[in-house]
Amino acid sequence: MPDAASEDAVLLRGIWKRFPGVVANAGANLRVRRGTIHAVLGENGAGKSTLMNVLSGVYRPDEGDLVIDGRARRFSSPADAIAAGVGMVHQEFRLVPTFTVAENVVLGASPLRIDKRDISARVDALADQYGLAADPTRPVWQLSMGERQRVEILKALWRDARVLILDEPTAVLTPAEADELGGIIRRMADEGRSVIFISHKLDEVKAFCDEATVLRGGKTVAESLDVREIEPTRMAELMVGDAGASVAERPAPHPVGKPVLELRGVNALGSRGLPALIDADLTVNEGEIVGIAGVSGNGQRELADVVAGLTPTTSGSIVLAGVDVAGRPPRVRFKAGLAYIPEDRLGVGLAPALSVVDNAILRSYRAHRRGPLLAVERCKRFCEGLVEKFGVKVGNVDDRIGSLSGGNLQRLLLGRELSGEPRLVLAAQPTRGLDVQGVRAIQQLLVDQRDADTGVLLISEDLDELLTLADRLFVMSEGRLLAEFDPTTATRAEIGAAMAGADGAMR
Amino acid sequence: MKRPVLVRRDRVLPGSQAFAFVAGLVVALLFGAILLIASGHDPIEVYGRMWSSSFGSTNGLGRTFNRAVPLALAGLAVAIAGTMGLWNIGAEGQILAGALGAAWVARIGETWSSPALITAMLVAGTIAGLVWALGPALAKAGLGVNEIITTLMLNEVAVRVVRYLLNGAWKDPASLNFPVAPKLPEAARLPGLFGRAHLGVVIALVVIALVAVVVNRSAWGYELRIAGSSGPAAAYAGISLKRKILTVLLVSGAIAGLGGAIELTGNAERITEGISNGYGFAGIIVAALALMRPWAIPAVAVVFGAVQVGGSSIQTLGVPASVADILQALILAGALIAGVLMAYRVRWVSTRAQDPSGDGLEAVAGV
Repeated sequence: MPDAASEDAVLLRGIWKRFPGVVANAGANLRVRRGTIHAVLGENGAGKSTLMNVLSGVYRPDEGDLVIDGRARRFSSPADAIAAGVGMVHQEFRLVPTFTVAENVVLGASPLRIDKRDISARVDALADQYGLAADPTRPVWQLSMGERQRVEILKALWRDARVLILDEPTAVLTPAEADELGGIIRRMADEGRSVIFISHKLDEVKAFCDEATVLRGGKTVAESLDVREIEPTRMAELMVGDAGASVAERPAPHPVGKPVLELRGVNALGSRGLPALIDADLTVNEGEIVGIAGVSGNGQRELADVVAGLTPTTSGSIVLAGVDVAGRPPRVRFKAGLAYIPEDRLGVGLAPALSVVDNAILRSYRAHRRGPLLAVERCKRFCEGLVEKFGVKVGNVDDRIGSLSGGNLQRLLLGRELSGEPRLVLAAQPTRGLDVQGVRAIQQLLVDQRDADTGVLLISEDLDELLTLADRLFVMSEGRLLAEFDPTTATRAEIGAAMAGADGAMR
Repeated sequence: MKRPVLVRRDRVLPGSQAFAFVAGLVVALLFGAILLIASGHDPIEVYGRMWSSSFGSTNGLGRTFNRAVPLALAGLAVAIAGTMGLWNIGAEGQILAGALGAAWVARIGETWSSPALITAMLVAGTIAGLVWALGPALAKAGLGVNEIITTLMLNEVAVRVVRYLLNGAWKDPASLNFPVAPKLPEAARLPGLFGRAHLGVVIALVVIALVAVVVNRSAWGYELRIAGSSGPAAAYAGISLKRKILTVLLVSGAIAGLGGAIELTGNAERITEGISNGYGFAGIIVAALALMRPWAIPAVAVVFGAVQVGGSSIQTLGVPASVADILQALILAGALIAGVLMAYRVRWVSTRAQDPSGDGLEAVAGV
């Protein structure tokens, strides 16, 4: 029952949530006033999703307080959260495709006897009230993504959610649909409901939201900023970290050699089938580190996967160490001299259920064959060599790789990739989630590679890392590689403006 | 106040699956005892009879081993596909196909020497099982069609094909119009090993050992395990998922087909509709209990063989044979539950810090 005395719809204080090997929330705070639209900003892995899952009853926090409408709560399931008036629209919709809109809306919260016509009429009335155009009698599988999202919002409204969490709602929408959504949530806010809007698209946050809270590394770094008064560049800075946080000194410059990677007019689609990489032109030379900055979700992942051969291109050419590899499978690229540190270490770079040895030989197992069998001793020696050379702390090389800490996983992965004497190192978020010591070690390995005349393409969300390590720097925004920056002279403000999409090249 | 919370262990306890299997067995026997008492039987007498008929004599042991052979091969077929995260639910049909292939060879090779005939039957059965898996394998690898559905549906087709042959071309003219095939010639019968056990026991063990080595030690098996652990990691390593899917489903079908051929030449007098006898489906349980690991399959298969042999022996005590089915299901359920619980430990946490009625909270929250 709302407590009229409190104007806070949501108050989260000191939320901690730990998972094996990861601290997802480390004392996060959030305060959402009633009748406002509140943005929660942060990079991937900043702890946004975990915090929202705590608020919506999916996770129980290890520590911390949760107050809804002035009442302290402890949710043990999403049902508790719904009963307390908290509804969440997840990124992956949770709808029954063969049910109609009305059936989906009332599912789990319907009267015992369902009168289809009556329910449809009531859902229709609710939809009209908020401008959520949706035919209640249509089956969900016929609907577009935007329409499905409206059904999810209707579901929350049907359960009378006074706090509605939208997890990156515009990721699946066209720009026109996104604007429409902005109007719908404003109407809900005007009615006294509160909307939590998770995004990393700063222009939308600016357009739709009243206040913003920024998370980084599981902590709240800025709480309840007034969105009207703050510059998007400042928000971008807050998301990616303050100057001089964790980075070593700038390494001495190194002479540059021939090109090892040339991308010309490369286009590719993202996982949702929309253009995610647009007309990318990029050259990486021997002996230089080229940095790619940008707010996550702007095509960096696709850029990396296109170079590694994990995502097909729709057009353009990719020349790797003199070999045209566009349209060729990943193996061709590795033979040409690519080392790839993927963003998802466990799951792409490493196979989680297998042993340390099995993972160490992922690239080289074909060379460890004796007839059809693998030479077990030779594999083991190779693995132990990597472990020793790159300082991986591991109990037993036959243990599952999943038992290693994040820093040790990354050392093993990097060690394996570098042991093939690569021509180009492609590193995506190589230091994310590591402790200071681990960050330094990985950064040093990348600099060592550069100094050995290898080309390095470094994709990172840590602007300081890029400003320190990169010899040249590009910003990615909405799938495009924007103007090149010189990291020794560029200011954080300039780069932040480009990241926020304020650059002239945009729109 | 303290309350228990289940916390996932960082690493699995050594031997936990073996423990879980035994725990499942115990749970099954206890629940089974309750059922037996409820239906007016003496559980000790019934279990005693099951034990003595399955393990208590050379003949009993032979019967148990003979039962274990098709169970183990079906389990192996499911397990090798499962290593890659694929579900071959069609071992039942592949067993029938294998038996059909072997029976066809027995029909055309009546004049061959016994070793040649039996070898040809086993090869034909293996190929027939492979062919039966070909459609689902191509559909999965090429188009991504769910292999669970396609392999399952082909079971029905296999049953119908056998029925068609038994009612038509293959019907025994001397059968007085009953839909049965003629008995196999003596030359087509697999030699004995000991007691009632036949040579198929040895063949199955050799195949299991071979598959275990291939999965755990060969480059092919390594690629299989990588693909099973993470598809993206396999793609990253340059492993062709399509080719792996195709080959592993074909090998899976071939193993089940071999099981069908052995069952025909070793155990059955003639091909019948019921020759697959649910082994293909029980094989799924066997593989699940063995955690898809080939070397664990023989033990599980022998226990299941004993439960089935014991289950049919207690009918003379007036206990329905379906008790064996119930016990099998309970073993699986108990072992699965125990297996999940073994992955967790219980931690007692204080409830006070988060107690909504506690006094400490309001000061913190400032409300």
